[in-house]
Amino acid sequence: MIHEPPPFFHRGPSPLARLTFFALLAIATMIADHRFGALEAVRLSLSVLVAPLQQVAGAPAIAFSRLADYFASQDRLMRENSELKAKLLDYAAEAQRARLLQAEQDHFLAMTPSRSRFATDGVLAEVLSHGRNPFVRKLVLDKGLTQGIKAGMPVIDGEGVVGQVTAVGTFTSEVTLLTEKDQSVPVMLPRNGLRAIAVGSGKDGSIDVPFMPVSADIQNGDLFVTSGIDGTYPAGLVVARVTAVEKNTTYVFAKITARPAAGVDNHRFVRILTAQRPSPAPAEARAEERRPAKDRPAPRGRRQP
Amino acid sequence: MRAADLTPVARDVMKLPAGPGLIFASLVGAYLFNSLPWGGWALLARPDLVLVVLVFWAMHQPGSVGQGLAFALGLAMDVGDSMLLGQHALAYVIVTYGAQVLRVRVLSFPILEQTLHVLGLFIGASAVIVLLNLLLGASFPGPAAALSPALAALAWGPLTWLLYLPGLRRMRRESAA
Repeated sequence: MIHEPPPFFHRGPSPLARLTFFALLAIATMIADHRFGALEAVRLSLSVLVAPLQQVAGAPAIAFSRLADYFASQDRLMRENSELKAKLLDYAAEAQRARLLQAEQDHFLAMTPSRSRFATDGVLAEVLSHGRNPFVRKLVLDKGLTQGIKAGMPVIDGEGVVGQVTAVGTFTSEVTLLTEKDQSVPVMLPRNGLRAIAVGSGKDGSIDVPFMPVSADIQNGDLFVTSGIDGTYPAGLVVARVTAVEKNTTYVFAKITARPAAGVDNHRFVRILTAQRPSPAPAEARAEERRPAKDRPAPRGRRQP
Repeated sequence: MRAADLTPVARDVMKLPAGPGLIFASLVGAYLFNSLPWGGWALLARPDLVLVVLVFWAMHQPGSVGQGLAFALGLAMDVGDSMLLGQHALAYVIVTYGAQVLRVRVLSFPILEQTLHVLGLFIGASAVIVLLNLLLGASFPGPAAALSPALAALAWGPLTWLLYLPGLRRMRRESAA
């Protein structure tokens, strides 16, 4: 006869069996999230549960910064004010020119079936916090699904591109910074029309421009703007300024380093560009091209862990 | 056996099981601590109090806190820190298993030796998370990441004292009555 332990010793499966089960479950979760992005619903519903706790934890710091803002010295406010006025005058001339160009563009658009590649609509968002993932630097903004934010939307500040929305919660969204590893933006040099791809280096907030031939006409101080050919970033947004060009003829490619134009780390308000690029014209409009109408390309930014 | 094993605190208080209220409150408190607006290298060095509290209950209250709760807490941490879902879950489940296996041994030591034991567990948890992120293509986080398990282990002593307190008070009340 087989001796069984008395029922009060029954504890269910052994710890090792449980470990195997839960470890496999965790690994399956990671694969589902990383490879297939299949767990957005789980993440969203969990974030609804977790959000109040996070708000409670973040409240003291936010209250402190509001208080500090309130007591900001008169002197600083006046200085800021005069700086902003000077900037406004700077921009006013450009804005008038842009209005003229916009009018011209509208006129041409009325004649052609293609649509605008420039950004117009946007939502102002406040930076709630720098995300708490030590491996990928992100910003958490106070606009989310309820304000119509979608993953893939570009985010800019007064100077240039900050990054791209990579995850959206109900009331918040996460922006992966331009300078993060593997974040890439298609760019061009307005000076000579040269196209390139700017890739975040992931360290010390700099951007690399890989795969440019040694003979490419790129100089120190050149300004890269978005080229708008990827369907994610509208054209003409300032991205980065070249800080170092290393042309070693023993290598095939030049080593080009740039600094982001936007204050990627130090802003309180940013703008999320909500206008998504329109899909290509319907197939019948381009019947002569004999190519199947492709969907808009997926957002470039790979969602990071 | 050493004399320190038989201190009244270690023997008597834990005969009274801690209520689910205390367990829940301590875990929520630890989660709030983890959710404070950490940034920069402070974020890397942040001691994971949720893990400390989890290990504490897995050792002192193995009947009510186990690997299932560890998995759920790990998911909550992943959502809060906006990391890949499941990596904290994996680390927590492995560490909880370690706590279950080492439970009797660790609890027979006084606090200082307990701290060294749990330091090993916490280093294991950090290693799992760092390794997973390296696999995913992140760059090495730097030496500040080594501070996190050390600080978490330092929290073990004060936390043990803090979580004993309600039981102690209850014991005094009952012995007075």
